[in-house]
Amino acid sequence: MKRLQQDPQHKPRNILPDCIIPAIALIFTIYYLTTITEVPWISQASAVVVSCLLLLAIIAFVIRSAWRIRKHRETLHLQGTFQDLLGYMPTSGRRIGLLLLAVAYVWFLDSLGFTVTTFIFVFAAIVLLSSLANWKRALIISLSCSVIGYIVFVYFFKTRFPMGPIEVWLKGML
Amino acid sequence: MTLDFGVFLDLFVSTLGYWWIIIPGTMLGILVGAIPGFSAANTIIILLPLTLAMEPATGMIFMVALYTASRLGAGIPAILVNIPGTAGAAATPLDGYPMATSGRGQQALAISFTASVAAGLITTVAALILIPWLSQVAFHLHSVEMIVVMLFGISLIATISAGDTIKGLIAGFFGLMIGYIGADVVYEAPRGTFGFLELYDKVPLIPALVGLFAISEAFVVIERNTILSEQGAVRQQDAGWGPTFEGIRETLLHWKEVVWTSLLGLVIGVIPGAGAAIASFVAYQQSRMLSKTPEKYGTGHVPGLIAPESANNGVTSGTLIPLLIIGVPGGATAAIMAVVLEYHGVNFGPDLFESQPMIAYGSFTAMLITYILLGLLILPLTRYFSRVMVVPTVYMAPVLIAFTLVGSFVPRAYVFDMGVAIIFGVIGYIARRTGYHVAAILIGVILGPLLENYFLRALRISQGDLGVLFSSKLGNLLWVLLLLSLLAPALKHYLARRKANNTGATGGRDEPGA
Repeated sequence: MKRLQQDPQHKPRNILPDCIIPAIALIFTIYYLTTITEVPWISQASAVVVSCLLLLAIIAFVIRSAWRIRKHRETLHLQGTFQDLLGYMPTSGRRIGLLLLAVAYVWFLDSLGFTVTTFIFVFAAIVLLSSLANWKRALIISLSCSVIGYIVFVYFFKTRFPMGPIEVWLKGML
Repeated sequence: MTLDFGVFLDLFVSTLGYWWIIIPGTMLGILVGAIPGFSAANTIIILLPLTLAMEPATGMIFMVALYTASRLGAGIPAILVNIPGTAGAAATPLDGYPMATSGRGQQALAISFTASVAAGLITTVAALILIPWLSQVAFHLHSVEMIVVMLFGISLIATISAGDTIKGLIAGFFGLMIGYIGADVVYEAPRGTFGFLELYDKVPLIPALVGLFAISEAFVVIERNTILSEQGAVRQQDAGWGPTFEGIRETLLHWKEVVWTSLLGLVIGVIPGAGAAIASFVAYQQSRMLSKTPEKYGTGHVPGLIAPESANNGVTSGTLIPLLIIGVPGGATAAIMAVVLEYHGVNFGPDLFESQPMIAYGSFTAMLITYILLGLLILPLTRYFSRVMVVPTVYMAPVLIAFTLVGSFVPRAYVFDMGVAIIFGVIGYIARRTGYHVAAILIGVILGPLLENYFLRALRISQGDLGVLFSSKLGNLLWVLLLLSLLAPALKHYLARRKANNTGATGGRDEPGA
C-alpha cells in the first residue's frame, strides 16, 4: 500500500463512473417504494427486504470508496469520466452514434415498417463504424438482412411487425 | 406405469418410423432456439394449424423434437456472441463466452453439444425408469420449499461476484428490484411501472436478456476488430477438427459433472413453473461450490459450461412428467402441448401410459431419438459455427443489434419492448465498463418475480405469518443445505489455510532434521 502511494507512476482510479449503477439503483428503488405505499403489506414485504439489502450494499460501497479515496487509491472527479465510460474519440463518437441509430430504428419502425428500417439501420451503422468508402459491402449486408429478416420473421414466422410501404406492397404481390 | 425393456424397444423402433417428422422438428428447433426471442413455445403456437391437423402421436413427437432441439440451439449464440437464445441458457455465457473470445469457441460448442446430448439421453432414460417416483416430487414441493430452491439460484449472485462482492450484490439486488416491477400475483397492485401498461405484466424477460447481454456487448466490442482477443484470433486460425474432438474428450472426462447436474435439472424440471433458468443457475452455483478450483469459474472453465448446459437439457424430459401424469404442464411449451393433446381428446393421467403408449412413452423415446440425431447432426457443424467469431465487429455489431431488437419484439409484439431492450443495453454497457456483473443483474430479473410469487403465496396461505417459511420438514432441510452451501466456500478456504499453516509449521520443525 505504502509502495503504491510512493510510486509516481501510480494514478488513483476515478470511481465516478462506478457510482452510476448504484445511483440508478438507488433512484429506482426510492421511486419503487413510493409506488407501493398504498398496497397491502404482503405485496410490499419482498421489495422492502430487498431494497433494505440494496441500501446496505450501497452504504458499504460508499464507505469503501471513501476509505480508498482517503488512502489515495481512488479519486472522485468529473474530469475524464466521459472517456472512462465511453472511450476516446473516435470510438466514443461511434458508440453514441450507434445508440442514437438504435433509438431511431425503434422510433421509425412504426411508420416505415420492419424491412425499410432494418435496411437503413444496418447500412447506416456499418458506414458509421467503418467509413463511407465501405458503402458497397454495407449495401449488400443491409439488403441481405432486410430480405432474410422479411422471409424469416414476417413471411415464415408471421411476426406482427408494423406494416411499412414495402410490407404493404409485398402483401399485395404475394 | 413401469416399462419393461421389450416394450421399450418396440416403442423405440416404432418412434424411429416417425423420422420424417423428427428431422424437420429438430432442424426448426435448432433455428428457433438460436434466435433470441423465439422459443419452442411460440413456434409451436405459430405451427398450431399444422400440429392440430396431425394425428395426436405424430403431433406430440413433432413438438417434442422441436422443443428438445431448441433447448440445445439456445446455447449456440450464448457461447459465440454472448446472447443466450432463451432464459434457460442465461448461465451458459458465464464460461462459454470467455472460452469463445480466447479462440476456443469451437471447443466450447463441442462441450456444450456433447454435455447437452449426454444429459438429454441420461435424463430421458432416468425419466422413463423413475416416472412413478418423479411424478410425486411436485406434491412435496410447495411455496416454502420453492422459496429455498429460488434462493439457491439467487445465491449465485454472491458466487459470480467473488471478484468484488459489494458491486456484485448491488448488481444482484438492483436486478431483483427490477424483477419486482409489475402487478403482484395476489392483489394485482401495479408497482414501479412508471405508468406503462406494458410493464404491468412484469419486465419482459427477452428484452432484458437481449439488452444486458447482446446490445451492451455490441457497444463494447466495436473498439476491437473481432470479438476474439489477439491470442484467440491466432488460435482460431489454426483450428481444424482438433478442438471438436478435444471438446468431446473434455466433456467425457467430466462425466460425473454431466450426470449429477443433468439429474438436478430433471428434478427441477418436474416442478411446475420452475424451469430451465433456475436449473441452470442452481447447477452452476452448486458446481462451483463443490469444485476444487472455484476461482476458475467465469474465466472459461469447462465444468462451468457443462453444468448449466447439462441442467437445462435435463429439464426437458422433466417438464413432460407432470403434464402426462397429472395434466399439469411443467412449463410454457408443455402447456401448449397440453392444449394440442386436449384438442384431440387425450386424457392425461397414469392410464395414458396404458391406453396410448405411443403418446406417453413415445414422447420420451422421441426425445431419445432427437438427442441421438442432434449428436450426429450438430457436432460436425461446430467448426463452421465458430467461424462467426472472425466476422469483423463493424458488420457484426449492427447485425447483432438489429436482430436482437427484432427478437425482443417477437414474444409480445410490442415496439415498447424494443425500447426496453435498448434501456437494458445502456445499463448493461455501463455495468460492464464499471465492473458490475451483468449476469448478476439478470439473475435478479429472472428469479426475482418467481421468488416473490412463491413468497406471496406462502404468506397468503399463512395469513401473513413469516413463520411459515420454517414450517415444513423438507423446507427446513433445504434451508440447512442452503446455509451449508453458502458457508462451504469460506469453510473450505479456512480449512485449506489451516492445512497450509500446519504443513508450514511441520515443514519448519522437520527442517533441522532434514
